Amino acid sequence: MKKKEDMKCIKRGEFLTKLLIAIFLIGMCVLVFKIVTEASFYMKHSNHVTLGCVYDRSGDVLFDPDADTDTYSYDHFVDVGNLIGDDSGMMTNTLVSENRTLLSNYNPIFGIMEHGQSAIYTTLDHEANRTVYDAFGSRDGTAIAYNYKTGEIYVCVSKPNVNVLDFEDVDSLPSGSLICKAFYRTVPGSTQKVSTLAAAIEQMGFETVSNKTYSCEGVYYNNYGNEIDCHSSYGHGSQDIFRAFQNSCNPYFAQLVQDMQLQPLKDTFRNMGYSVNNSKAPELDIDGISVFRGSTELDDVNDFDTQWGCMGQSKTEVSPCQLMMWQSAVANCSNSVTKPYLISYVKNVFGNEKDESETSYESAGFSAETAAYVREVMLENGRVKYNDKIGYNIGAKSGTAQIQDGASENNLLVGFVDDSSFPIAFCVVIEDNAGGYLSTEYITSTMLNAIANE
Amino acid sequence: MFHNKLSYGRITFLVFMTHAIMLAAVLFRGNYKDITDMLQLTTAVFALDIVYMIVIRFFYKQMTYTTDYLLLMIMGCSVIFQSCFGSIGFASKHYITCVLALVCCQIMFLLTRNHIRILALKQYLYLVLGVLVLATVLLTGSRSMWISIGSLSIQPSEFMKPVFVLLCATSIMEQHDKKKLILFYVSREMIALTIAFFIIFVLQWWCRDLGSLPTFAAAYGCAIICRICYPRAKFSKGTLITLIVLGIALVALLASAAPAYVQDRLSVDIWEDTYGDGYQQCQALMAIAEGSLFGKGPGYGKLINVAAADTDIVFSTICEEWGFFVALLIIFFVASLLILPMINKPRSYFHATMVMSVAAVFVVQMGLNIFGSCNLIPFTGVTIPFISQGGSSMLVSGMLAGMLKSGQSPVFRRPDAVRQNSRRRERAA
Repeated sequence: MKKKEDMKCIKRGEFLTKLLIAIFLIGMCVLVFKIVTEASFYMKHSNHVTLGCVYDRSGDVLFDPDADTDTYSYDHFVDVGNLIGDDSGMMTNTLVSENRTLLSNYNPIFGIMEHGQSAIYTTLDHEANRTVYDAFGSRDGTAIAYNYKTGEIYVCVSKPNVNVLDFEDVDSLPSGSLICKAFYRTVPGSTQKVSTLAAAIEQMGFETVSNKTYSCEGVYYNNYGNEIDCHSSYGHGSQDIFRAFQNSCNPYFAQLVQDMQLQPLKDTFRNMGYSVNNSKAPELDIDGISVFRGSTELDDVNDFDTQWGCMGQSKTEVSPCQLMMWQSAVANCSNSVTKPYLISYVKNVFGNEKDESETSYESAGFSAETAAYVREVMLENGRVKYNDKIGYNIGAKSGTAQIQDGASENNLLVGFVDDSSFPIAFCVVIEDNAGGYLSTEYITSTMLNAIANE
Repeated sequence: MFHNKLSYGRITFLVFMTHAIMLAAVLFRGNYKDITDMLQLTTAVFALDIVYMIVIRFFYKQMTYTTDYLLLMIMGCSVIFQSCFGSIGFASKHYITCVLALVCCQIMFLLTRNHIRILALKQYLYLVLGVLVLATVLLTGSRSMWISIGSLSIQPSEFMKPVFVLLCATSIMEQHDKKKLILFYVSREMIALTIAFFIIFVLQWWCRDLGSLPTFAAAYGCAIICRICYPRAKFSKGTLITLIVLGIALVALLASAAPAYVQDRLSVDIWEDTYGDGYQQCQALMAIAEGSLFGKGPGYGKLINVAAADTDIVFSTICEEWGFFVALLIIFFVASLLILPMINKPRSYFHATMVMSVAAVFVVQMGLNIFGSCNLIPFTGVTIPFISQGGSSMLVSGMLAGMLKSGQSPVFRRPDAVRQNSRRRERAA
């Protein structure tokens, strides 16, 4: 009897030992799974792995971890410094910092491969980028242009920029050097009227909007008695939407907003991607680079701040990239926005190519009919004001954004080229340009010519 | 009884080949300036193999040798690993501790193979434990676990492990002699064991060395379960569940009352603190990723510059230089030591409990080290048995391996195989 009990106990002890070993082995399996799935993430933090190069669409180098002034001209990378970034770890939200996994000469099986062939080939046109960068002269700002049919970004310039070949002390750089402003918030000024027009057409229909005329006497007092100034102190008189859009008439748009209902207005703006009254806006990233969409506050259509916000002032902010993206829906007469991308294809450590270019879309937040009507209005504006100056048939809207409580003015121009063989949408921002020293038309023209000459 | 099919010749060849392949890997992939850098290491490893094999085979006959072969294989690999960290050389100190561990293994085997004798000496085990506790309190520095004698450092608390394991394994005879105490039927031995564990617990807490505590807790837990599952344990399911709930509550309470440095480790997001509390783990994980499947090559690792690279995060250091595959293989070898008593079954309940407690100590130590350094669980400073550097740890691991060996049944040759061999000899004659 006792022997039987002992045998039972031995078997139980054995079972427990097996259980312990089994738990440990299961833990080891979990560890293997963790390491296999997270190895690339760990390598993002490693200083021992070498990175490959980044190239533009014609094979010109945009980033080289071994770059120095012996192999490249001193300012070779200055036009793309804050967009492409470097491997110093001091710049974030750049193509290199957000795509280290693709660029690492690392393979989960063979480990670090010093002479790996990892590389990223972008859609950018370095020469065009450089031309636009130079065109800014002493002014700061940003310019971005992409193919509104495919989504390829050709130009993305931001000034001031950073020369990665001569970059040691962050504190000595001018403010804004380390960020690509095309992806960050800016006051849109009257370019916001494109969104307001789209929201009005969504709510009232194009026929109603086009039949509406409002009078501008230079100053307009809204329902609450607040003063809305027009940039023309003489006023524009009675105008329809086409004329008001060309005149960028503030009293017209204040009255238009006043005639709209608040909730549908908020809904359209939210659908377009705005954060309305601190609501959560959908996230946007371009190949890992985080992009600000837009934000505004809309409380009461009769209120000064709401009206002013619908004209791109007050608390309204949008990124130049997002302004450009809406243009794709307008240009394509579509209810979808073409999502921009920077990476065309990549090579892995063994030099094998993988196509990363894929045209994708997201909801524009307004209907195709609305887009078509907005397109009509913008093309008319382009025909009257810009085609001759720029040299292309474009649909466009300009804006003047007052920043720092009016102490400074930024000039903006958003639009698209009305040519199916040259489908370019763009946004240009020139900062602190109150005297009109540099025109957005000049930058746009230079940019379009540079892209066309590729 | 008849599972041990490897012959002396075959297994000797296997051990030699394993070490030869590893040394060839060092030769072809290693970071050395001159081939003579490898000479000492090669000689030492093969010398140990030859001497140990001869001693085992011709001067010290046993009924089973599998644990010895496996242990020798692991020791050789360990010496090669430790000699290659950062650059190729010869880890002489580690080599000496490995030799001493092998000796300890044999001594412990001889001491524990007769369970009747151990059971008769159990009061002395409590005495030894008391001496070790007093040595830790009186001879170590202020709230430290180490005794420093010149350049030599000894950790007496490590030596409590084999003693405590033996205490857990004894007292089984007392299971029939239980008395009801408040709620439970308990034996005098169980009360004594619980007091011993409590003293060790207080000592570890006081010395701020909570890393080793789970190993003692695991051995104690196994002992408790063994007693609960004893056929005449008189434990109801309700009592069992109450005990488990109380245990979990106690662990949660202790975790919340743990010192600040422990709390930091429990809550740290290592990737948010890559140069602070998460430094070692981040570096360890990066090293594993950098080494990938086949490693950078012996001597080419960079992790050796991080503190405790050859002890607490040694798994990652091996991964970096030798690759994930080799690191997993060596852990599998160590785990195989624990699997062997499942093949050659324990001879008695004493041995079954002892094997289980040793397995608990090894598994918890390996788990804490590997999973801790890889951020699966909070990081604690414990060693991997036989692989990490550390004299006390290595000697104690050797002792525990000796217990594993003594726990196994003798392996007999198959009667028909004996007959066949004798026929062959006759034919040959």
